[in-house]
Amino acid sequence: MEETLLRIRDITKNFGGLRAVDGVNIDVNTESIVGLVGPNGSGKTTLFNVIFGLHKADHGNVYFDNKRIDHLAPHQVFTRGMVNAFQLPRLFYQLTTLDNMLLAAREHKGDNLLNSLFLRKEWQHQESELAQKAMEILELLELAHLTFSPAGELSGGQRKLLEIGRALMADPVLLLLDEPAAGVNPILGRKIFEKIEHFRQRGMSFFIIEHRLEILMEFANRIYVMDKGKIVVEGEPTEVVNNPVFYEVYIGEK
Amino acid sequence: MFNSCVTGSLYLISAVALTLIYGLSRFPNFAHAEFMALGAYIGYSVAEQLGMGFPITFIAAFLASGALGVISYKVVFQPLAKRGASIIHLMIASIALGFIIRHSIGAIWGWAPLSFRVVWSSFDMGAVRVSGIWLWLIFAALALGGIMHLLLVKTKIGKAIRATSSNPELALSSGININRVTLTTWFIGAALAGIAGLFRAAGTRLSPLLGWDILLPTFAVTILGGIGSFYGAIAAAFIIGLAENVGVVVLVSLGLSTEYRMAIAFAILILTLLIRPQGLTKLFRGT
Amino acid sequence: MDPFIYILDIIVFIGIFAIVALSLNLEYGFTGLGNFGKVAFFLIGAYTYALLIETGLHFILCLIIAAILSGLIGSLISLPALRLREDYLAIVTLAFGEIIRIVVKAEHWIAHGVWGISVPPAIFWQGASFRMTIVAHIGLIFFCLLICFILVQLVTNSPYGRILRAIREDEIAAATLGKSRLKYKAQVFAMGSALAGLGGALFAQYIGFIEPYMFMPMLTFTVWIMVLVGGPANNWGTLLGATLVQLFNRGAKIIKDYLILPVDPTDLQYILLGLLIIFILLYRPGGILKESKIKTKAVERASQWKRHS
Repeated sequence: MEETLLRIRDITKNFGGLRAVDGVNIDVNTESIVGLVGPNGSGKTTLFNVIFGLHKADHGNVYFDNKRIDHLAPHQVFTRGMVNAFQLPRLFYQLTTLDNMLLAAREHKGDNLLNSLFLRKEWQHQESELAQKAMEILELLELAHLTFSPAGELSGGQRKLLEIGRALMADPVLLLLDEPAAGVNPILGRKIFEKIEHFRQRGMSFFIIEHRLEILMEFANRIYVMDKGKIVVEGEPTEVVNNPVFYEVYIGEK
Repeated sequence: MFNSCVTGSLYLISAVALTLIYGLSRFPNFAHAEFMALGAYIGYSVAEQLGMGFPITFIAAFLASGALGVISYKVVFQPLAKRGASIIHLMIASIALGFIIRHSIGAIWGWAPLSFRVVWSSFDMGAVRVSGIWLWLIFAALALGGIMHLLLVKTKIGKAIRATSSNPELALSSGININRVTLTTWFIGAALAGIAGLFRAAGTRLSPLLGWDILLPTFAVTILGGIGSFYGAIAAAFIIGLAENVGVVVLVSLGLSTEYRMAIAFAILILTLLIRPQGLTKLFRGT
Repeated sequence: MDPFIYILDIIVFIGIFAIVALSLNLEYGFTGLGNFGKVAFFLIGAYTYALLIETGLHFILCLIIAAILSGLIGSLISLPALRLREDYLAIVTLAFGEIIRIVVKAEHWIAHGVWGISVPPAIFWQGASFRMTIVAHIGLIFFCLLICFILVQLVTNSPYGRILRAIREDEIAAATLGKSRLKYKAQVFAMGSALAGLGGALFAQYIGFIEPYMFMPMLTFTVWIMVLVGGPANNWGTLLGATLVQLFNRGAKIIKDYLILPVDPTDLQYILLGLLIIFILLYRPGGILKESKIKTKAVERASQWKRHS
């Protein structure tokens, strides 16, 4: 049964005189893949930043699972089940791939100072289990051979994959992906989306910023088109692509 | 009141220097204290040991400190920045540089406090007798402030400095020679510091630790004024100068120790950083 | 001075400073906090111990209270201060250190201002020779060092330690993954301050007499050099750094008695120290020992997986 998981209502964000996001309304349902497209500078990334709490909106509300989250800090949004993967991967470059994955674990006994010191046996056991889960995801993303390499040694494409893998590790209910296939070769890009669909079938929702229409056409359930901070077109992929406004906005830029 | 102007003038020269460098190179340079000290000692050598007149002394201090600034940048800070050193690394390098300069000065001139033997003519202002050196300081502060203003606003290099300070990438793509701008800024900043040091020494005493006495209040002024903000630094210098001198009066009337004089500047510093880290910047457009 | 006693004295100082350096390593090496006010907590610990011991409390209690008080004060100032960016945090902590020193100097009723306080040694028995006393001090101090070392190792070689490093690397990414940066930074700062306070208390009871001029910013810088030289984020490296820097400082003083140089050895010492630091920052900013790796059962499990695939 489809429910609205993420509801964005009238979100407006100004940046030094510029209206980056202007009265945006978006719905993302459970178990769906929603795409967000638009020319560069249309405010997509800013919108994402507002959603997961990096910036405060100047106006409007964001509801996740029917509860308001727009006043929460990023780490609190994470606790509610929303995870964000950045466009330019923000990995922990001095730490190993494995460490990066383990850090995404949702509830770790070892995160607490006192537990860390006194309940060693318990969190060691959890470490082992989490490592198992991490390795499964790394395997899926074909990164297992880099388990012990510092993240700084990974190539651009591998970093992108690790960014996504880390997000998956966090068991998100909703995953915000900012251009997951950018800078990655088309074959790998398609593979990423296949895995995204795989996770969608297992109950995850995705809200994805993506430039490449072909791929969204194939995988997305719904697409929103953004231009100069406003949503100008929305609907199912075929509807959107046949909309003349869409052509003005998108093709005009290309 | 007069004392406030004096303190303010000293801080003005010192802080304008610091704010220029801090704004451009984006790290707090603790060796600034030693730029001041060197200016003072070179001035001392020229005036006392070589017996030259004061104009020459000032020029010597100006040039020597300026040179030190450029050398410091080229030998220590530029290479570090090229290797991607973090702000903390640069800070620590500046502290280390400070050791080197301070102890070299100590080794050459000795650690015992020295005094300028020049006798300043005293003037009577109202009920107070003031030494001529302080009047010179205020004059110098105003003059230097004015010159710097003209430099930053009217000359090409001045505009380049302001541009690079506010937006390095944009400045670079506009064809500004960042290297030249940086070297010039370090020269001017260090040279002004040297002048500040010389005045401090001429008015009080001279010791290798001279820079450190004024350093933290200078940071307070720079931060209150807003890092990189020339006009902010000027305003902040007088605000803190006033605060310190008024504060001393208040302290004495409250029966507290005058040791707290130093703490006044620190307190303002901490409060600024906690409440309004950008200081007075926004109040001065176009800086 | 009897050379044997001199060596023991060096060992004592290595022990005391190792504790303080470990605290800075925890804050800066692992968590990326540029704390330039270490001397403030060292001072608080020292004076707390000095004042408490006069009331007749058992010395162990005094040590513990000194550490806890330093930790509490650290927590208090961390709340507003830790939101600041690196250079501002550094300047604020530096200013804080100086303010505390000025307060102690000015308020004579706290601790006699510039006239200082005498502090009796913690362990003392009748008829003990000077050597035996120092050995007792070494015993006490190194016992405390051992506890501190085990503590920081446990904290840093754990999921908690992993989070600290993540916050150091990219605190926004860490927040996006659910880690509250303020909570962790505040906890680390409190721990670091408590350890520094302990170091100060041990210092006070060894030196026997404390006054404000012993707590200058120079102490903070010395501890920073220890952490940087040994290798940030490596506790063994910090121990190494503490040892090397102390030996360097003391060595210079010894040479003064044996070599006649044109330059005062103290000056030369600082000039060399400055050159050394710049050299290290330029050519080996990671210090002598590399960052320590996190070794938990996770590493085992992952290795097993790799072997079987």
